[in-house]
Amino acid sequence: MTAALRAEFLKLTSTRLVAAMTGLAVALTALIGVLEAVTAGTGKGMAIPSLATSGGLRDNLASTGFALLVAALLGVLVASGEFRLKTATDTYLDQPDRTRVLAAKAIVAAAAGAVLGIAAAATSAGIALGFAASRGYPLALPDPVIARYAGGTVVGSALLAAAGAGAGSLIRQQTGAIIAVVAWGLVVELVVGATITTAGRFLPYTAAAMMAGDTNGGGMPQIPRGVTTLPYPAAIALLVAIAIAVAVVAALTTVRRDIT
Amino acid sequence: MTVIEVRGLAKRFGPATAVDRLSFAVGAGTVTGFLGPNGAGKTTTLRMLLGLVRPDGGQAVIWGKPYRELGRRRRQVGAVLEASGFHPGRTAAGHLRVRAAATGAGRSRIDAVLAETGMSELARRRAGHLSLGERQRLSLAGALLGDPEVLILDEPANGLDPAGVLWLRGFLRQLGDQGRTVLVSSHLLAEVAQFADRAVVIDRGRLVSAGPVTELVKAARQAITVRTPRAGALRAALISEGAAVQDAGADRLEITGLGTEEVATLAAALGIPVYEMTTEGGSLEEAFLRLTATEGRPG
Repeated sequence: MTAALRAEFLKLTSTRLVAAMTGLAVALTALIGVLEAVTAGTGKGMAIPSLATSGGLRDNLASTGFALLVAALLGVLVASGEFRLKTATDTYLDQPDRTRVLAAKAIVAAAAGAVLGIAAAATSAGIALGFAASRGYPLALPDPVIARYAGGTVVGSALLAAAGAGAGSLIRQQTGAIIAVVAWGLVVELVVGATITTAGRFLPYTAAAMMAGDTNGGGMPQIPRGVTTLPYPAAIALLVAIAIAVAVVAALTTVRRDIT
Repeated sequence: MTVIEVRGLAKRFGPATAVDRLSFAVGAGTVTGFLGPNGAGKTTTLRMLLGLVRPDGGQAVIWGKPYRELGRRRRQVGAVLEASGFHPGRTAAGHLRVRAAATGAGRSRIDAVLAETGMSELARRRAGHLSLGERQRLSLAGALLGDPEVLILDEPANGLDPAGVLWLRGFLRQLGDQGRTVLVSSHLLAEVAQFADRAVVIDRGRLVSAGPVTELVKAARQAITVRTPRAGALRAALISEGAAVQDAGADRLEITGLGTEEVATLAAALGIPVYEMTTEGGSLEEAFLRLTATEGRPG
């Protein structure tokens, strides 16, 4: 397992994928964070409450929603890129135990997702706290709560990236896998969560976004209305379970498939 | 000693039979050409041998075991398969570092295989900026990382320019001279005949012929044209020796099945004057086409 992990780690560090995806996550977080901060408290359109309030500051801290999706895509690219670039042949020649390869990919994707999450959380915190301070507002949330939201972004990004790696192994066609993950985050969860509100909190993106501070009906991408927040440890357990489940299904499928 | 053994191997892709109860063996320390026209099932056979494709029947083993069960000895099998890819943003050395990490090969081997394949100066170049020939060399470098006893190469000459083909020919012969067991697939008999000791020929997934390359070349049935004033007498003598003879004009015979030495010796023994004797070129490829019966088959 150590050899497989080392190889997967080298694969990630010898290309610009993590840097590019982290850059994208930071850019999207900054765009949404700044737009929210600038319009906060104006009451216009979808403006969040004032940064002087706990709700406003929390919403602004939670501008990492798209970063969570980018983390999932990072996981997809880690796995499906092997098939798009036809490097899977060498990978499975060097390590014929396909389950081991998949596990290594999920672990490395989680680590890369965590790095992306740290960058995104730092960006949203910098923007929210910076704008609040520049307007002379006292800190509307205690430090542990701010840290918990930031941690939610990091843990959520890591676990969604791991699940993305499973999805990328399952759906080898990279474009299809990317479309599937984006559609899941932007459409499927919104529709399912809005239709069956009791199930919404158990959906992976929704659970991760709520760990990062999003509340029902808010967030970007939006969290379905009426969905209640899952307790923090339960949300982590749920995301771990989903990542493992996707990986197991992917492993069972990958072991049987021909590498052509 | 048999190193590679394929026993009754079979594979279907939907309605198409790719490999059909194929059996052959490759002995230690030999360079073996694995020949067949495009679509004959060579790549599928090699992928089954290396555990990438699951056979529907039969078995393919190296040192008596399926590839994935070789354990640490797996490092001693190097392979280059057609359609293997590279990350375009990863350098040549970076690519080898990844493969060395995955197989547990020492990092000192990276410089060694780069030098062995003439890639040292391109070590820091990204794979996306390498030519096809350079990428083939890099693939070979990757296969050599574990200093393998066995090398399995799928159409390594594909896309190479004449200089690259010349280099590869010498390289493969050198690997054979080092005592390694090399199995190289190709659809060019004339090419393989220049470096291989033995040849396994398949067509439509079935074994057509297996044996020393010299035997295959001998069986090439070169056509010999002879001009003689006693064509009738020579024809009768040649037929009695097992040759196939056709009239090619009033005083000309076209002979297959015997070599030029045998025809000349027979004519001399009978005191039949021979004014001219010519052999047709390109006979290796013709023999290959005859063996695999693919003349006129598209692509």
